[in-house]
Amino acid sequence: MDMAVSTLLFTLQDMGLAAVPAVGFAMVFNVPRGALLYCALGGALGHGLRLTLHRTVGMPIEWATLIAAFAVSLLGIYWARRWRAHPKVFTVAAMIPMIPGVYAFTALLAVIEIDRRGFSEELLNTAITNGLKALFIVSALAVGLALPGLLFYRRRPVV
Amino acid sequence: MTATHAGQDREDAQREITRLCAQTSRMLMQHGAESALAESVARRLGLALGADEVEIALMANGLTVTTVQSGRSHTTVLRIIDRGLNMHVVTEVQRTMLLAEERHLDLAAVARRLDAIQPLRYKRWLVSVMIGLSCACFARLALMARGIEGDFATPALTFAASAVAMQARQYLAHFHFNPLVNFAVAAFIATSIAAQGMLHGWVDNPKIAMSACVLLFVPGFPLINAVSDMVKGYINTGISRGVMAVLLLLASCGGILLSMTVWNVWTWL
Repeated sequence: MDMAVSTLLFTLQDMGLAAVPAVGFAMVFNVPRGALLYCALGGALGHGLRLTLHRTVGMPIEWATLIAAFAVSLLGIYWARRWRAHPKVFTVAAMIPMIPGVYAFTALLAVIEIDRRGFSEELLNTAITNGLKALFIVSALAVGLALPGLLFYRRRPVV
Repeated sequence: MTATHAGQDREDAQREITRLCAQTSRMLMQHGAESALAESVARRLGLALGADEVEIALMANGLTVTTVQSGRSHTTVLRIIDRGLNMHVVTEVQRTMLLAEERHLDLAAVARRLDAIQPLRYKRWLVSVMIGLSCACFARLALMARGIEGDFATPALTFAASAVAMQARQYLAHFHFNPLVNFAVAAFIATSIAAQGMLHGWVDNPKIAMSACVLLFVPGFPLINAVSDMVKGYINTGISRGVMAVLLLLASCGGILLSMTVWNVWTWL
């Protein structure tokens, strides 16, 4: 019971922390003011769902990301119809907390380090593992967002 | 005589439809919509305004639109110049198309409405504060993932570094520098500020501050657009967007690396 409560609190804190970057980056993308709340909700739900699937269910991070992105995309379609706007207006900002930024930078910096310090297996290992993680997570995000269109809205537009 | 006039009018109307389709598609591409949207909105607008057929070919920095009306075709080519992400413009353009589809707008009204769209821009300081807070939250998330509770100095340092860097990035963009230059300079500033935490021992987890404060340079939107373009069959625009995103990442890496060399702080690897 205690365990469940602490997991719940952890997840709620995680969702709250994910909502802020979703709104922050939505403002960089100049999302209309009325849609910022949806970005925050999507960011919180997506990140919280991924955390639960990854940590509690034990799913690999890439698959957890794919499912979270799919769920947010479905929500985005619902909002898009009410708001008469493309779902990406809401959903891409909501994906931002899940973007593998640290992996991407680590991979590129490791490649540069190979040039600076000379080749080592450790650096190559860092470059490839981080680079692949970044690549697969970004692909999972984009494919997850595209899935409703690929599965349900094949020959008709969402809005 | 009247027949020629009517023909001339029809031709003018078709030319105007072609121009509006091209303008719509260009506005969407310039403000960061995915290629599938830029194509479908322009096509639906053209059909709603009375064209029999609308064909659009999208390239990375140009587009071609052909409309066909009672057997005559008219083609136009426009250049695409990146205007920065703006979802407000994307929303307004799409709503214009929807209104035209519902027959609330005619040709002239569509043209007026498209020309009247003023890109929304949030206040620069507000964006900087929000991005600072965002990166502070990323730092807090990284601390939580490592099971560290109660370190609030690291997110605070991250906030300072990324808010200042975001302000610098927007300031440089205001002077129309190449985005690659903006990203490199701003990444240098962000890492330099975060490196002070390491040098002076201000915070307990300076590594997290240094990696979180540069997350504002991850081109998330272009990366997602690149993959979704390619998934939907627009391989060429997808590749060019992906390459641009990786270049932006590399430019930021250059800034980070320069800063680490200047301050002699090697935390990343």
